[in-house]
Amino acid sequence: MSFREKSAWIMSIALLLGGMVYFSTVVSIWFESGQLASPAIPLLVTYTVVICVLAVIGYIVAATLTPKDARTAVDERERQIFSRAGHYGSVVSGAGVVMSLGGYLLLQSGDLLFHTVLASLMLGQVADYVLQIRYYRTSI
Amino acid sequence: MSPKTPIVNRVRELRERHGGMTQAQLGEAIGVTRQTVIAIEQNRYSPSLESAFRIARLFGVGLEDVFSWDE
Repeated sequence: MSFREKSAWIMSIALLLGGMVYFSTVVSIWFESGQLASPAIPLLVTYTVVICVLAVIGYIVAATLTPKDARTAVDERERQIFSRAGHYGSVVSGAGVVMSLGGYLLLQSGDLLFHTVLASLMLGQVADYVLQIRYYRTSI
Repeated sequence: MSPKTPIVNRVRELRERHGGMTQAQLGEAIGVTRQTVIAIEQNRYSPSLESAFRIARLFGVGLEDVFSWDE
């Protein structure tokens, strides 16, 4: 497994765990108070810190295990992989944002709009990394 | 099962004929990673025209001696 495929695994896992931390908190507040939690800076900071810490630890471990791979420049196949995976990741994000806007038009909830747009961006990024892994393992 | 490209190649055979050149050595010579050489040999990736020429020139053969269309 190349260093960049390992990186895609690390970022997928970091984003999923960060997303779980964020949305489990939002959902638990919803169940406790009976209303959707308003966006809060401390929760977003926690989400960001979780992702950064996991990514940094993951990259250090991966680079330590395969130092030569980590220094290798991106080649033509990897550029194609990033480009195609990024394209579909953007489609996922865009579709999610459009659905979020539709939800806002129907429900007029700014809090819901914030959470669904954030979820769309997260999912788009996760889709990007998952597709990178797929293209690394199959053909492009 | 990985989908294959319609272009097949003799990269592995040529590499072995050239004193058992490793995938990493070939990758370094043509400017791609070892994983990309593996993907080319397994017909999971069709290299760019530039890389195809680099491979052919490295082995001292024509392009069609390395790559062909799988009918």
